[in-house]
Amino acid sequence: MLFAKKHWKRLIMIGAFVILLFLSLEIGALSDANFAAFIAGDETARLVFIHSRIPRTVAIVLSAAGLSVAGLIMQSISRNKFMSPTTAGTTDAAAFGLLVAAIFLGHTSGIVQTSFAFAFALLATMLFTSIIRRLKFREVVYIPLIGMMYGGVISAISTAVAFRFELMQTMVAFGMGSFARLGNFTLVYIVVVPLIFSVLYATKFSIIGLGHDFAKNLGLNYNRVVFLGLVIIALISASTFVAVGPLPFIGLIIPNMATSFYGDNLKKSIYDLMLFGANFVLICDISSRLVIHPFEMNVSVTISVVGGIIFMIYLLRGMHGTKKPRAKATAG
Amino acid sequence: MIEVKNVTQSYGRFADRDILKDVSLTVREKSITALVGANGAGKSTLLGVMTNLVPARQGVVTLDGVDIRKIKTAEVSKKVAFLKQTQQLSVKITVKDLVEYGRFPHCGGRLRTADKLKVEEALSYMNLADIKNSYLDEISGGQRQRAFIAMILAQDTPYIFLDEPLNNLDIRYSVEMMKVVYRLVSELGKTVVVVLHDINFAAAYANHIVAMKDGEIVKEGSPDEIITTEVLNPVFDHDFHITCCEGKSVCLYYDKASKRCAI
Repeated sequence: MLFAKKHWKRLIMIGAFVILLFLSLEIGALSDANFAAFIAGDETARLVFIHSRIPRTVAIVLSAAGLSVAGLIMQSISRNKFMSPTTAGTTDAAAFGLLVAAIFLGHTSGIVQTSFAFAFALLATMLFTSIIRRLKFREVVYIPLIGMMYGGVISAISTAVAFRFELMQTMVAFGMGSFARLGNFTLVYIVVVPLIFSVLYATKFSIIGLGHDFAKNLGLNYNRVVFLGLVIIALISASTFVAVGPLPFIGLIIPNMATSFYGDNLKKSIYDLMLFGANFVLICDISSRLVIHPFEMNVSVTISVVGGIIFMIYLLRGMHGTKKPRAKATAG
Repeated sequence: MIEVKNVTQSYGRFADRDILKDVSLTVREKSITALVGANGAGKSTLLGVMTNLVPARQGVVTLDGVDIRKIKTAEVSKKVAFLKQTQQLSVKITVKDLVEYGRFPHCGGRLRTADKLKVEEALSYMNLADIKNSYLDEISGGQRQRAFIAMILAQDTPYIFLDEPLNNLDIRYSVEMMKVVYRLVSELGKTVVVVLHDINFAAAYANHIVAMKDGEIVKEGSPDEIITTEVLNPVFDHDFHITCCEGKSVCLYYDKASKRCAI
């Protein structure tokens, strides 16, 4: 029975994914360019699909899946359900890296930009994790709060630097997440690499989530796995940041929602988690394209609104883990 | 065979406080050794040193004659299993997931048929087969503790170290837990070292008791040798009253001056 239920859940998610994929490709400013025309071999439709619609949809799926996984790994490493790349300074540091690249190298290729963003994101996240390891807080909410302050400090420094070098406009442009940017989307394919590593190391990340002593008892090299996790998080955050900009809340709410359905055993749930994230962002993206059709809203606005509401619901209900245990099974 | 030789462990910025002072101990094979003592006596630290969770600073711990610090963590984890006192879980995993993690030292996360068999064995040995698909936060404290023991069984190590396994368990589950530990030794031939707060549990179930105070082993021996006022009074800085009940020594440790009788 349990198996059947699990399979149904997955089947529904896959069905929804296929429908959303179709909608994501079908809807656009140019309503003549639709699937029917594409299949019929219309030249305009073909160009629109190959150069705009398909890369865009792929970017959505990859960045959403990537950030969901990055968020869950971060929550495992820190053993804190409120952690995510946006609450640990990772995203802000990636922006800073991008700015530094712009200052020293001017207009450079996406790969160079991503490398800078990655290096800064990794350093900042490592610094943050080493700081919080020294602090002995019992309250789980403090750590992301400190992380947000830390991120605030980093972005304040970026703003100051941007102001000094007269790059304020570039800074503002970084701060907007959108799938409407053209050209940089290919960078998002980098996400595939860390995603493969997350699948390979899934069990290790789950074990890390049970604590240092627990991991060591099972013969795991704790520090090495944590470092690998941070590299994965930084790489995913950096490449999605460069390609589509910040997508707030994804790394925070998607892992929380997904684990309350599928549990925390990453090896079993990693594909479900990716699907869940992809579906969520596809819905947000499709709605932000429909609200003021044929124009579109920044997808980060839609995600912020929807994500903010969901986050509030989770806060009020108490994130799972702090939630009181449900009806106890018969003891014995 | 696990031997602790002249281990001195200190912490603090200037290493000014010794948690363990020149401790030597040979773990008795295929029996239950209980570590007892007041808070801060160094019991948990000793357990940590013996399992190499906290490597010994001075002195040496040997596992089958080899310095445990020189053995790879992955190899140690096939011989020594260690369960810490508090199992605060913020993660949502099923009983079966947890027990499967126990096979990690042997298969690195990719379970083969033999590993799956071990998992099933451990689950049924601990009576968890019916609830193996339940999440850990949905089951009772006693069941959860059994799930952790099942994980250690799946880890399939000859040595098992338990740090206060009775914490947060009520009397019924405590007794159940100690019975399980007893079976691990009598049926499966494991060697168990356990830190216990309740000396009566130590007296009733351990084959060997090690009494510790201020980082030193005061005395070790059979329950009959240790459960005496001469040994326990200084160890716990408390006046004990020891009586014999059904052939076992029992400590009464309520305040004798008090008019209200606690037991």
